[in-house]
Amino acid sequence: MADAVALPQVKPVRPALQFLKLIPGVLLLAGVGYAGKLLEQNVGKFAKSHHWTFPNIEYVLWAILIGLAISNTVGIPQIFRAGVATYEFWLKAGIVLLGSRFLLGDVLKLGGASLALVVIEIAVAIGFMTLLGRVFRLKPKLTTLLAVGSAVCGVSAIIATKGAIDADDEDSSFAIAAILALGALALFTFPLIGHSLHLSDHAYGVWSGLAVDNTAEAAAAGALYSDTAGKLAVLTKTTRNALIGFVVLAYAIYWASRGQAQAVGNKAAFLWQKFPKFVLGFLLISLLATLTVFNKDQITALANLSRWAFLLTFAGVGLRTNFRELAKQGLRPFAVGAIGEIVIAVFTLGLVFGAQRIFHW
Amino acid sequence: MSKTNGEAVGVPQRRGLSLDGWAVLLAFALAALVRAGVFKHIPW
Repeated sequence: MADAVALPQVKPVRPALQFLKLIPGVLLLAGVGYAGKLLEQNVGKFAKSHHWTFPNIEYVLWAILIGLAISNTVGIPQIFRAGVATYEFWLKAGIVLLGSRFLLGDVLKLGGASLALVVIEIAVAIGFMTLLGRVFRLKPKLTTLLAVGSAVCGVSAIIATKGAIDADDEDSSFAIAAILALGALALFTFPLIGHSLHLSDHAYGVWSGLAVDNTAEAAAAGALYSDTAGKLAVLTKTTRNALIGFVVLAYAIYWASRGQAQAVGNKAAFLWQKFPKFVLGFLLISLLATLTVFNKDQITALANLSRWAFLLTFAGVGLRTNFRELAKQGLRPFAVGAIGEIVIAVFTLGLVFGAQRIFHW
Repeated sequence: MSKTNGEAVGVPQRRGLSLDGWAVLLAFALAALVRAGVFKHIPW
């Protein structure tokens, strides 16, 4: 799937036509996601009725596996691609709706603890990735993109930084490919590590939110562990996302000072432009829930809508991951990304263990 | 690698809502419909 690493192209298309082009892919996302849900419900029952020992596989993993199977065998036909690319839209809508499951006080308490960990994680990740980039002699702007991608929030951060520092399309593709490939690996390794270390739902959720780079993969890695871990992974990752503007601004100023990027005119406007608006939506819904604008049944309905939105996202994670396309991007950026991610994962695990003792998670 | 000689530019003006903006709008529209009782029960 070539668009796994391609940068978005803006084409002048009429809005109605653009909307119609999304429908086949969105239906594919819904079909794959729903198939994952049906498999979760029925495979366990079938295995039990035949006295087979079969692990209980959650819908999240089924949806991702079906998506991966389609993407890596028959591929995604052109007609579905625009709609499949909407998985990030569903992710963001799902995160906003998830805000109804948090009281604002809890968000501030959990978000405050997460924020301290996130700031440490970002500083260490940027420093270490920059060092690795120099050791492996990667191009400086590619190193910047990998550092931002692994420190803040994956693909969105890389695209935001690319524009701000005038990086090459090729460098962005390398960085995005490395982050996506490592995110796919994290989906399968993180739950295994979490279970083997007997991490609590809270600790595991915070760890996933801190260490998995792309928001969709962080949400999926958390949900693969438990519902609570999924909620906390999204909250921690959202805290990380909220800092994207500051990191991109710092890099934009750095590259502009070297005459290799446009200087930033209005810094406040720059920060607002880069700030992920869905974070505000999440906080506002959480505030409304805290003010009891919604009753208990309505909160359940909103939580379920959030789950449906995430279901489309998880299907999209599998459908847009094509290992052959990712492998084509070369070994060195992947090696830098992989070494960096392993170190960041171990470091953040240590942070989480420390925080667990302080906050009694 | 493009060089721009440190030329200052403003934030580009974009028409319409961003992806984030549309996602927030959809979420709030759904929340309003749930609050108004249009969607009473969402199965899972």
